[in-house]
This record gives sequence, C-alpha cells and structure tokens, in this order.
Amino acid sequence: MAFRKRNVALARSPAESPAAEAPSSPAFHPAPAAPTPGTRPSPIDGRPTTSTGTPSLDSILAGHAGLPLGSSILIGESGTTDYAGALLRFYAAEGVVQGHRVHVVGMGEVWGRELPGIAEEKDKRREGKERAEKMKIAWRYEGLGAHGSSRERGSPAPSTGDAAGEAAVFCHTFDLARRLTLPVGSAIDYIPIPRTTGSPFAEILKNLQKQIAKSPPGSIHRLVIPSLLSPALYPPGASHPSAVLPFLHGLRALLRKYPTGLTAVITLPLTLYPRSSGVVRWMEILSDGVFELSPFPYSHLESLATSAGTTKDEERPQGMFAAHKLPVFHERGGGGSTEGLGEDLAFTLSRRKFVVAKFSLPPLEGDTEAQEAAVREAAGNAMPRKQDLEF
Amino acid sequence: MPPTSRIPPLLQPFVRTPKNESLLLLTSTLDASANWLLTRFLCDALGSGQKDNDNGGAKNVVLVSWMRDYEFWRQEARKGSGLDLVGLRTQGRFAFVDGLSSLFLPADEDAADPQRPRSLPAAQPGVPSTKGLPTLPVRGPPGRTAPATAQAALRAPASHPGLYALSSTSIDQIKTAITAAIASLRPTTAAATRTLIILDNPDILLASVPGLTPAALTSFFLDLHTQATVSHVLVHLQSDLALLATTAEKPSPLQIAQQNLVVKTAHMSAKVLGVRVLDTGVARDVSGVLRVTANRESWAGIATLGEEEGGAVQAPEEAGSEVLYKVNGDGSVRVFERGADVAV
Repeated sequence: MAFRKRNVALARSPAESPAAEAPSSPAFHPAPAAPTPGTRPSPIDGRPTTSTGTPSLDSILAGHAGLPLGSSILIGESGTTDYAGALLRFYAAEGVVQGHRVHVVGMGEVWGRELPGIAEEKDKRREGKERAEKMKIAWRYEGLGAHGSSRERGSPAPSTGDAAGEAAVFCHTFDLARRLTLPVGSAIDYIPIPRTTGSPFAEILKNLQKQIAKSPPGSIHRLVIPSLLSPALYPPGASHPSAVLPFLHGLRALLRKYPTGLTAVITLPLTLYPRSSGVVRWMEILSDGVFELSPFPYSHLESLATSAGTTKDEERPQGMFAAHKLPVFHERGGGGSTEGLGEDLAFTLSRRKFVVAKFSLPPLEGDTEAQEAAVREAAGNAMPRKQDLEF
Repeated sequence: MPPTSRIPPLLQPFVRTPKNESLLLLTSTLDASANWLLTRFLCDALGSGQKDNDNGGAKNVVLVSWMRDYEFWRQEARKGSGLDLVGLRTQGRFAFVDGLSSLFLPADEDAADPQRPRSLPAAQPGVPSTKGLPTLPVRGPPGRTAPATAQAALRAPASHPGLYALSSTSIDQIKTAITAAIASLRPTTAAATRTLIILDNPDILLASVPGLTPAALTSFFLDLHTQATVSHVLVHLQSDLALLATTAEKPSPLQIAQQNLVVKTAHMSAKVLGVRVLDTGVARDVSGVLRVTANRESWAGIATLGEEEGGAVQAPEEAGSEVLYKVNGDGSVRVFERGADVAV
C-alpha cells in the first residue's frame, strides 16, 4: 500500500457497498474495469466523469475535473449572443471525438456539420512554446500545479495509463474555425421537436429513451439541448410549467437511471425566461449544475481601444460567468470552499477556447485605461494613444 | 451523553423530532440544499434505538422523495450518518418511496430485459387501476399524463422489500403507495411504534401538475399525519425567493401556489427549519445558515428545543435560533454558532 503510486486516482466504482444489492435501479452497473474513452474517475470520490469539451469549465465543477456522469448542466445566457452555444458545440464535439453517442434536440444536421474541429498544429506549437517557458521554472516545481495545466493541454488522464495512448485524451482542444469531420454512420442523433399542440416533451423523452435503450450497454450518451424553450424552436405551450417541468423531472430520472452513461447540457435564453421567474427556478432545481453567462454589452469604443492596445496577452473578458449550482457538490449540501463559487468569474471566448477565469482588473492598468477613456470621451476620438501619455 | 457521534451536539436539538406528534417543515433553496439535514433526521430517527427515553423512541421512517433517487440517499446516509439503509429496509424499519424514477418518465422496457428493447412507446398497460381513480381531477397536457394515471402506483414491493415507486401524480395513488409503505414497516418495540414520514420536495407536484391546489397538498400532509402509526411528518419544500410570490410584482400562478403551500405548511408545523446561504455572500468555511423557528401558537404544549426543561420558559431558541453549518467533502457536517471560532 505504501508503494502505491500517489498520483493515481483510485478507481472506485460508486456501487461498492457492503451488501451485494442495489436492487433499486436495475440499470445500475458498476463502472466497467476497462476505461471507457472520454471518461475518468473523479479525483475526489472516484465517480466517473467526462469532459465538457471546455477545460476551464471542467475545472470549476467542484473539483471533479469533469462532468460527473449521470448529471446535467443548465447554462443560462442573457442577451442575444450565443456564447452558451459555443459551449454546447465544444461539448458535442468532444462527445463525437470520444465516440460517445450525441443526441441533439431540435436542431438539424446543419448544426452537427458545424461542430468545431480539433485544433492541431497550432496546438503543438503552443505546447512547444509553453514547454520553452517552463524551462525557466526550476524542474522540481514542474509537477506542482500540473493538475490544472495538464487539463488545459489535454494531457492523458493519469489513471488510464499510458498504454491507452491517444485514446486517453480527456479533453481535446477545438477550433471554432475548423469543421469536425463526422465519422461515418450517424454519430449524432437528431431528435426533432414534434409540432404538436400539446407538450412536445413527452415525445422527445420517449425518443431519447428509445435511443439509449437501443445502444449497447456501456456506451456513453450526451444529450444536447440548445436554447430550451426558445420560441423559434418550441411550440408556445412548451414553456408552461406543466410541460417543461415534467420533462426535466423525467430527464433527471433518466440521468439517475443511467448514472454511468448519460450526461446532458441544456442552454436556456435567460432574457426570455428570467431567473427570477418560478419556472426557471424549478428548472434550475431540477438540473444538477446551473451556470449563468452575462455577456458585457458590446461597446464600439472599447473594441477600438483593445484593438489599438493589443500588447496585452490576455483577451478582454466578454462577460461574467456565474456558477449557481454545481453537480454533486450542491446536492450534498455544500456551499463555499470550492473554486468558482462566490468569486467573480469572467469568460472569454476565442477561436480555440472558452476560458473561465477570475475576473479582476489590474489596478494600475485599469486606472490608466479609465483615465484614457475619460479623456478620450472628453476630447473626442482624436486623442493621443497610450504611448503619448506614458512618455 | 453523546447519542450518536455522527450528529454534532449542536445540531442534535434541531433534528430531534418533538415529543408530541407534529408536522415539521424544512425549507431549502437552490444553492443551499437540505439533503444533509434530511439524512441527519434519518440518522436521529433510525440510528439511536438504544436511547428510548431520550429520543422518544426510535422511529420507523418512510422517505418519499420526488427529487432524488434511492441510490443517492443510500450513499449519503452511509457517508454522512453511517446508516445502512439496506439493512434497515430488510429489518422493516425503513421504506423508500421513489417519486423520481417513473413519475414523469414513461414507464419503459426493463433494461434488464433484452427481448423487447424497443417496444416501449406502445407498451403501456391500458388497464386503469380501479382503486385510485382520481376523485381529484389531476390532468396534464394530453398525451403526457394519460399513461401515468393509468398505472398502478405500486410496483414490485415483493422483490425489493421497502422500495416503492410512484408512477402517478394523483394524490390518491400517492397516498395509497405511502400507506402501503407504512404498513410494510415492522414495529420496533411494542412501546414505540412510531413512524416518521419524510416528504422530500412534494412541491414539484404543485409546480408541474395542473389542477393540483396547495390545499390538496396540505390536506394530503394532514391525512398522512392522521394515519395510526404516523407520529411525525417532515415536509421538505423549496423556499427560493424566485418561487415565492412576494418578490415579483406580477406573480405567476406557480409562485402564488408555492407561497400558498409554504406558508400554509409553516402554519401547520410545530417546527420550521430553514436552510439558506449566507446573506453576505459565499464564505470559504461556511456552507449556509440553519434557522429553526418553533411554532407555539397553534399547537399548544409542543416543546421543541430543549425539551428536557419541561414547560418552563425556554432559552431564546424558542423564538428562533440560527446556527451556521459547513458540509465537508467527506459528508460530515460541522455546526457552529455565529461568530464561533471556525478554525477549531
């Protein structure tokens, strides 16, 4: 025991229990011994997790370093932007790459064809650059803090071992400008929204249930629901509590029924369905994780300012990111003491990544910029740039 | 006298059910869930059988959960309070009524049944059960609840002792299932055959079933309470501000109904426990605030906290007291007073 490699997460299946029982859910199998591609045990409690396709989103999921299987995430976004859609695409693309079954509700094949492809050569270069940077760090500190950064670069999951090689990449890097070549056969299952006068959700749920039951045991499913309740996609009656809440309740039951085989990510237009309304709150309660994106209003002036002052490395954040509920963590009752809760988080979407980071303005820079902006506003556009102010 | 080491002493009076038969209310919010507290209730009722004089007797428990599955409760109870629910189930001290798995999910093929894996949509048994034909017209959108109401509320109690599942939103059928679950429990001792019923989030019914009124639910609670062996009914409801009508200038029917239910239940309850997050924001070492309010107006003679002192004027707890809690990663919980040294 003492010689066990310490960085190997113990792959405990959540089903181990004193009695050989678990009769409640007949579909509950312990995690298979062979690692399923795209999953890895959580470093906290060993439950199997899968990647959301966005490394920084994985890293704020209460330390599980991935989305626990059998849980769902609801991402609300206010405004007319589609940042949450990018998250969904990364999630779906990751599923396709990992060989998971991806189910998309309400979208046609066009959506699937526009999934981002894997970013390759640039990634290598960046990695090389990072490695070069790392040379400056003393070698003995190299291992420290590698947890986050290794996730960042999509290095092999530690537990699956190196034998798996290529297949063990937990989270790929995608490039929104590239297109994913879908494997032959139907990698993505498009679930249409039936045009009925009543609730369309029963049909959707049944469809999904059928697909999952049809698939071979041990396969992993990802359910993607873009802009739930958006009037462009759903019939008007869908947003009634008696339509959407049973759907989410049923989905929750389905997720619990396949605790090692199904995850779901749902996006919701918050402008149409504000968080202060009762239905949305129930939807959030029925989901396992709740995130909120509040994009900053686009300011022409600011975009000019950044394009002029591109010397800074990091991109300007594009909006605030709030974590209201985290899978597993909140279900157990915890608050506080985890990354991402109660902190001001901001997100930045670029071609290759969706980064969630702490939102902070460096005091000095913020100050001069504020001054600049104030001066510029006072004197119109023809103001000297930064250089003139600094020297 | 440490009754059970798993429950911190400060928490003990909170999760102790009152001596007298009563209704209890527990409220929680989105970011402060009360599942940890429910498992402590389970622990207090089930775990301390040896302390009859102090505890008012160990109780049998029926847990009805509309939001969480049995697997979750089993793991949480084991992790957090060291309870073996499986063993207790076979002993006949605990029964679980599952309101999640098949309530809105159309009853499907058994995953274990490979013969007919895709026959689920049409495989609804069209035979309505005769006993529970709703006197209360519970109706959903067409095509959704038709299969649900047509099904018997009970399912396979023989193969899994103490496990029941709800597949209907009709109050009558739910009542039938819960009654069956109560009846399946075996009395522990002759003196103390009392049963605690925990209803976990019955308000999802109110939100998702059209035609169900708050009054129907509250009378359902009272109905359960009047059953012979039932001594306490603990109701867990959501009390998010967004769900209550007070915050919105034009409240939706959903919010009005929820507020109606919460307020009504609170008035009926002998003790109201509320779990919420800190008002001041997220702190690293505090998960949330637990507040207890004793209701002595309507139910005379119910001593709540500090029962040992008899009917004497009690500590300020009587008016309501608050403690902070922190749920640790391993499932244990630490409860402390506001301002106490948290570094201990």
